[in-house]
Amino acid sequence: MQAVLVGLGAVGGRAARQLLSAHGLTRLTVLSRHPDRAVPTAALLGQPGVVGLQRLTQANFHAALAGADAVLLASPAPGRHWAAAAVAAGVPVVSVSDEPDEARSLLHLGPDAARAGVVVAAGAGMAPGLSCLLASWAVHQLAQAEEVHVASLGTGGPACARRHHAALREAVEERRAGEWVRRPPASGRELVWFPGEVGGADCYRVNRAGPLLLGRAFPELSVVTTRSAASRRDRMTSWLPMLRRPHPEGTVGAVWVEVRGRAGGLAESKVLGSSGRPALVAGLVAATALVWAVRGRLRPGAGGLAELVSQPGAFLAELTELGLPVYEFEGTTPAPTW
Amino acid sequence: MVGPKGRNGRAGLLGLVGRTLVALGFAVLAALVVRLRGTGGTPPHRGGWRQLSARDLSEASPEE
Repeated sequence: MQAVLVGLGAVGGRAARQLLSAHGLTRLTVLSRHPDRAVPTAALLGQPGVVGLQRLTQANFHAALAGADAVLLASPAPGRHWAAAAVAAGVPVVSVSDEPDEARSLLHLGPDAARAGVVVAAGAGMAPGLSCLLASWAVHQLAQAEEVHVASLGTGGPACARRHHAALREAVEERRAGEWVRRPPASGRELVWFPGEVGGADCYRVNRAGPLLLGRAFPELSVVTTRSAASRRDRMTSWLPMLRRPHPEGTVGAVWVEVRGRAGGLAESKVLGSSGRPALVAGLVAATALVWAVRGRLRPGAGGLAELVSQPGAFLAELTELGLPVYEFEGTTPAPTW
Repeated sequence: MVGPKGRNGRAGLLGLVGRTLVALGFAVLAALVVRLRGTGGTPPHRGGWRQLSARDLSEASPEE
């Protein structure tokens, strides 16, 4: 299998390592906007014969596309242009971006991708990405799913931290009673209990692609919300430029998903979660999605993982075998106001 | 016997103490309002997280 990776940041690097070590990649062409900065990371990935690092240009991208089986977009810059070129060449695309505008622009490639029989997977990271798979799995456990609530904690690399900072000052679109409604930025505080050692954290609405992707996958849902953990300082300073340089890679991360609905005529809810370093989690999900896309295990067309993966249990099982824990909450919690 | 200057000095000191006490009182009042209106604290919950195995995930999915 040969792949093209656009962006070698924290998530791109983790995904590349996963693809090279576990999936027997024979050739990985890494395209970076700053190849000089990416040299040390690329050197750690593998032999120069297997891993090639080039500057991200139109000519280099099309040359790399010629022999590629898949493209992974892991750069904070808009990737629609590269995705459209890949679809035109009949090559599947996986994007890790959590930005709603980016996801929307990739979803516009849906008709072309479906005609070409290729996959364009948007939001294939931690949240959205893993969160979509957990939600999809839980939705399939219930006779009728009505609400999906997602919360996440932690950021991957610096680009992810900057995006999180920006997402806290942007208005949020979420689904309420089947309609899309606009909510104030960083509003709606809820205490969420994450699995693992993370524990409880206050979470607020953030502008992420999750509701958009889950709303497409499950149009019958009446409520879809997404939140992210943030401190008071994060919220107070979200309108300012970042006051200090973001960390190279976040060490603590978690995802929490609650699906409410009915089973056996009774109200029922499923609460699932996972925890791990955000860049590692996103890299694992993206690499697995890429392999599934190449093997024809994703539905052709554009969408999030909840829409494209028809077997979320098998996908999650593969992730657990790769070392990513998946938890289910067993017990009672007070009903959040959401 | 305290002269006019001493009386003024004491009155000024008492005024300062009074203003400080009033300010502290307002601060306590504001803190109480915030504390009482806030939704802080840890809500009770029972149970815990159970790690799912690959088998749990594969078997439970009805489509698979």
